[in-house]
Order: sequence, then C-alpha cells, then structure tokens
Amino acid sequence: MKSKQSGNKILIFGFILFITLINIFNIVIPDKEFSESENRLLEQMPKLSFKNLSNGRFTKRFEKYISDQFVNRDGWVGLKSDIERLRLQKENKGIFFGKDEFLLENYEKPNDVLNNNITTLNKFKDKLSNIDMFFLLAPNSVNIYNDKLPLFANPYNQVKVIEHVENNLNENINFVSVYETLKKHKDEYIYFRTDHHWTMRGAYYAYLQYAKKAKIKPYTLDDFNDDIISDSFYGTYYSKASNYRLKPDELELFTPKFNVNYEVCFSDKDDCIDTLYNFDHLEKKDKYALFLDGNKPLVTISTDVNNNDKLLILKDSYAHSLIPFLANNYREIHILDLRYFNLSVHDYIKDNDINKILFLYNVSTFSKDTNLTKLK
Amino acid sequence: MLFSSLVFLYIFLPITLFIYFIGPKKYKNIILLIASLIFYSWGEPIYILLMIFSSIVDYSHGMLIEKYRDNDRKAKLIVLSSIIINLSLLGFFKYADFLILNINNIFNSNLNTFNLPLPIGISFYTFQTMSYTIDVYRKEAPVQRNFFSLATYVTLFPQLIAGPIVRYQTIAEEINFRKETIDKFADGLRRFIIGLGKKVLLANNIGLLWSTIKHAQLNELSVLTAWLGIIAFAFQIYFDFSGYSDMAIGLGKIFGFTFLENFNYPYISQSITEFWRRWHISLGTWFKDYVYIPIGGNRVSKFKMYRNIFVVWLLTGLWHGASWNFVLWGLYFGTILVIEKTFLLKFLNRLPRAIRHIYALILIIFGWVLFEFDNLTNVISYLKVMLGFNNNKFIDTEFIYYLYTNIILIIILIIASTPIISYTNNKTFYKLKNKEILYRNVLIPLLYLIILFISTAYLVDSTFNPFLYFRF
Repeated sequence: MKSKQSGNKILIFGFILFITLINIFNIVIPDKEFSESENRLLEQMPKLSFKNLSNGRFTKRFEKYISDQFVNRDGWVGLKSDIERLRLQKENKGIFFGKDEFLLENYEKPNDVLNNNITTLNKFKDKLSNIDMFFLLAPNSVNIYNDKLPLFANPYNQVKVIEHVENNLNENINFVSVYETLKKHKDEYIYFRTDHHWTMRGAYYAYLQYAKKAKIKPYTLDDFNDDIISDSFYGTYYSKASNYRLKPDELELFTPKFNVNYEVCFSDKDDCIDTLYNFDHLEKKDKYALFLDGNKPLVTISTDVNNNDKLLILKDSYAHSLIPFLANNYREIHILDLRYFNLSVHDYIKDNDINKILFLYNVSTFSKDTNLTKLK
Repeated sequence: MLFSSLVFLYIFLPITLFIYFIGPKKYKNIILLIASLIFYSWGEPIYILLMIFSSIVDYSHGMLIEKYRDNDRKAKLIVLSSIIINLSLLGFFKYADFLILNINNIFNSNLNTFNLPLPIGISFYTFQTMSYTIDVYRKEAPVQRNFFSLATYVTLFPQLIAGPIVRYQTIAEEINFRKETIDKFADGLRRFIIGLGKKVLLANNIGLLWSTIKHAQLNELSVLTAWLGIIAFAFQIYFDFSGYSDMAIGLGKIFGFTFLENFNYPYISQSITEFWRRWHISLGTWFKDYVYIPIGGNRVSKFKMYRNIFVVWLLTGLWHGASWNFVLWGLYFGTILVIEKTFLLKFLNRLPRAIRHIYALILIIFGWVLFEFDNLTNVISYLKVMLGFNNNKFIDTEFIYYLYTNIILIIILIIASTPIISYTNNKTFYKLKNKEILYRNVLIPLLYLIILFISTAYLVDSTFNPFLYFRF
C-alpha cells in the first residue's frame, strides 16, 4: 500500500498548494474598482455589522466580492470560453462563434414587448398628427451576416420582425427600410465583428435611405475624410462571448471635408463643446462611446446649417454613429434617450418647437426595450 | 452557502479544514458544529434557530426514551411526540401553503398563504432527527448523552443541505470515535472533486440545453428536440443530485465520517424496481425502514401490501415537493412497481438486456416529464409532442444544432452514467505495474486538480455579469 499512500499525499499536497496559492494571490493583489471587460464597477469589501449579518446582506455582498475580485477573473472566463469551443459548442452566453471571426448575438422570437412598442408608437403618432415622423429599424449583424452563422444555428429571422413592424405601424409614420441596402453592402465593413453596433459606414448607408424618405439631400462619402482612428476595438460581443483569441475591430471615422460648425450641449454638463466626438474613449475599452460621448439622457446639437428644421431623435445607441451624418442636414437636433430621460416628451416637443421626429432603433433593442412606454 | 461556490471552495472549506485538523481531538466536534452553524446561517440567519430547536427536541426526547426504557408505553409516546413535532415543523414550512391552496380550490375560500421561504435542508434534517429518536427507541443506536455531539450530527454541513439522509445509526460510533487519515482525506477529496465536476461541468451545462428547449414554444418543437430536452433534464438532475451527494460523502470522509452511498448508476437499471434501488438510496431506505416495514411491509395480505406500497410512494412523491405533480410522480412509480412485482418482472427477465434497459429508460424519462412540469396541462402537452400527436415536425435544424453542439458533453454524460470509468480504473491498476507509480502519483492527482481548476473557471464565469445594455 506504500505507493497508494504517496499518491494520496501528492494529491493532498497539490490541493493544499493550489488553494493556498489562489488565496495568496487574492489577498496580495489589490482590489480592482472597475472591470473594463464587464463594463461595470466591481464589488468592494462589504462592511461587517450585526445588522448586515442578520439581514443576510453581508453574506450576499461578501460572496459577490469574492467572485468579483477573484484573481485573474478575465483569464478564468476566457478559459471557460476556450473549453466550450473545444467541446464543439458554437455559442457562449448567447453569442454565436461565427465564421471569419464574426461574433453574432443570438436573436430569439420577440414577445409582447415588440407589439407593445408598436402600439405605443401608433398612439404617439395619433397625438401628434401634424409632426412628420420617421421610423428607422436597423437589423443586427446576426441577420445581415447569417451566412457566417455556425452550421444549423437558427436565430429568429429579423426580416420577419421588420416586416411585421412595417405592416403594423401607423401608415402616417414613415418607415425607413434599410435591410436591403445593408444586405447589398455586406461585403463592406458595415458591422463590427466584436460589437453589437453597426460601423459608421453601415450607418451611412442607412442615412442614405433616411434621406430619401425625409427628402433631404444627403452628403456622399467623398464629402468626408475617411480615417481609421483605432485598430484595437473589442466590443460588447467580445466581452460576452469571452473568446479572447479574436482579432480586434477597426474604427472607421468620417469627418466632413466641408465647413460646418456644431454646438453640442449635454443636459448633465454646463459647457457645450464644438465636436460630435469624445476621443478620450479611444483610451478605454468601449471605444464606440466616442460617438456623442455615449449614452446621455439629452443632447442638443445646434449647427449653422441653413434650414429651419428641428429634429427630435428617440433612439438607442445605433443612432450615435448615424447622427454625425444627420447633423449636416439640420439646424437643430435634439436627442432623447428614453432609458434616462424621465420628463414629459410631449412637453419637450412643445417647448422646443420640434417639427420632425425620428425613431432610430435596432431590432434587438426594439424587441426588448420597455422604456418606450415613457412616451405617454 | 453552496459547495459549488468560490466562497465555499476557497474560503470556508480551507479555513474549516485548517482549524479542524489543527484542533485537539476533544474539540473536533465543536469545531464542526460551529462551522456547520456558520455554513447554514450564511444564507438564512433566522432558520438556524429552527434547526437548533429540532436538535434540542430530539436530544431531550432521546434522553427521555432512555429514561423510560422500562415503560414501553411512555417510550412509544415520546417517539410519537418527536415525530409529531418534526413533521409539524416540516409540514408547516413546506406544505402549509400547498394545503391552503387546495382548501381554497375545494371550498372556494380565499385564505392567504404564508409565503414563507422554505428553510434550507428542512426535508433532510427533520428526517434525520426523527431517525435518531426512532433508532434509540428500537435500540439500533445508543442514546447520545452529549448534546453537542448530537447537534454536530444534526447540523453536519456535508450532508445538511442536500443529503444523503444519514441515519444516526450509520455514524453513531463515528460521532465520538472516528479517525481521520491521509488515505481517507485523499479518498474524500477525490470524491468531492468528482462531485464538483459533475455539478459544475456536467449538470450545469446540460441544464443550459434543457433550459433553452424548455422555453421554446411547444408548437414549434420537433419531436426529437422534445426528447433531447427531457433527456438533457434527466442528465441534469442525476448529475446535479448525485454530484452533490458525492461532495457530501467526500467531505464526510475527509472529516472521518463514512456515509452510505446515495446513487449507484441508476441509469443502467433494467427495471423500475432496480432504478429505485439505485436512485436516492437514502430516501428509499428511510421510507422502507420507518414507514413501509412498520405498517406491515410485505408480510401482510397482498391487498395490504399494495396499499403499503402506494402509501410509501405517495409520501415519496410528496417529499420531493409540495405540488400535485410530485404526488402523481410518486404514484406513477408506485403503480409501475406493483405491476413489476406482480408479474412484469418475470416477463421482462425473458427479454434481452437491451430491451429491458430501453423499457426502464423510457419509463424513467416519462417520469421526469411528470416531475419537471408542475402544471399537469404542460405535462400532457409536452408528452404529446414527444409522441408526435401534435403535428410537430419529427426533426428540424434546431435539433441538429443542439445535438452536435452538445455531442461531446452528451457522450461524456453517457459514459459517466455507467460504471465503465471506475471499472477501467481498477483494471488499469493491475495491468500497468511499472507505470503504476507514474499513474498513481502523477496522472491521477493531476487529473483531479485539473477538474478542480476547470470547475473554478466555470464558477468564475457564472458570476461574469457584463453590464452591457445600459452603458453601451
């Protein structure tokens, strides 16, 4: 039985060594405040008090603290993702591992929220019969690049959703159809591989469709400088799928060659700035936030464009890379994010003499967003 | 607290092990008791009082039974008192709302339910404490005069939350006289790691597949997907439950306790009779020894024997949950068992093994449909899809996708459901000879540490919570 004993001793020794090392690392390495990959604040050591112990809050927070501050958290998450792919799994946490290093978010059949949103929009239009309204519904990459899906993967067809929305939307709301044009240009870099957004180039093609419907004269790509301002963008899909072996996205930026002046004001700041971009975000992980500095409750853009239109945009973040094109066609653009804006939209429209409204959403968000009810 | 959590693996367990193995022998039970109380109150500070109350009740009852050994009538009343108190505790916290809902349904009344959260482990520790008083009365175990020793048994954290149901007589000796050794520690550790892997790597992942299929609309499910789904659930519940039992048995062994096996490869069964000798063995044994045999067992008329079987299975079903589908599940198996006992087993034994095995698996799988859906309508709808009654497609792209993306996992699950691995493990020892040392001293420990390592990765990932929507 001697050799059995030594094998047992080695196992126990290895176990103790492993646990001890992990604990040493956890104790010695200082706690992190923010996780770039998860884009959230990390739990810190909770306060120990009798009250917190008896109501269970301390233990819950402590568990979260231990896991949030676990040594090399992102490394473990990446390992799990690797093993999932090794066992032939083609998705992780809802993101498909597509061909050509494309990450594609699974899209499921929408539930009642979609129809509720359509109803809300129709009621909204009924109350504002004299204002031109446009609705631009952008498909997601999982739909445009369905040829890159893993074999037999079967997300719900977003074209059905787009058609359903178009057929059920009040006919006085101008539906801007962008699916065909995006499909036509799919071999260009119009969607990010590692993020849930379209690129500025993709937004441009949608802008052209909007321009047709809104009867404005769109600028062409030649009117803009075309620069790659980052070649190391890892987006939301990258974080979720946790496959750390993919090549990053590039950020292509279009800036006007022609003369135009912008004044961009944010509701949560006093000073206004003269640019549509905040390039500080290029130093961080979420580089897409450089467009209009990310999600804000209310942004107003005033330009020296020669018309009298005041456009209100109700949107999700797909709009952020399209607005830099629109800003050259309107004197005033008001951008409301219903997730954060809690005042009356009707009052805002009245107080600011809004005469055109554009709803800009991507299919995935529009199928789940419950904030549109704030439009009442 | 759960075994399969970072807090348990990296904080609670190492500290408890350290203090336990450093502490002097006479304090080891107290150390375990305190650790168990912390373990239990970690999630629910209030309900710990219930458990302490249950320990006090049964300690005092045990002492009283010993005192009134000569007065059998009194002793019996004391046992009865213990049973009533424990069952009342269990009945109130677990079944009161179920009772109220049924009263409301029958009498059209509008009584409010209590909506109390279920105290963790109450189905296990009440059964364990009852087993103590009954075993003391029956002289199958000596009375425990040390309250802390009894409390250690009641609260012992390895088996507290999800079993196995450890009867007092099993560890009566070890509570006061046990020896921790390196071999036991290593055996227990290996068992624990296997259980951890079963839960975190196997059960949780196949559970994801079931979760996806369960949430699909029934009219869009193909027949094969429906089968795949419930088979995924069958694997999930087996590896989850048996994995937890493995962790419990392993931890017990580390501390010097020998718990009885709770699962014995149930999915290789060739009859339902065999299945229930391999599944959740501790519960079956408990009901046999404390209900079936006392009410007559099979030593009575045939009619009474069938009655006894149905009583036991009704209770078995009910034990699993306060809902009618669990009762039906119990009665479902009770009926099959009676049929097998009367004539079916004899008939089955004439058929080839493969047929018997398929027969058992199909009945087990249908049983899981009954178990998993708490609404009888949903049970029937799902069964209809499985049997092709609803014009659902037989096969679709979803099925192929689910199958091939989980095929490696499924193959591992199938292999792990059979004794093949331990069989080959034992065989290899006798073949390798020289390489045996490399195998035992390097490969095997490394393999277990790898399972621990990968399980940690999956545990960290399960807490990975990107705040994507609102910030982006």
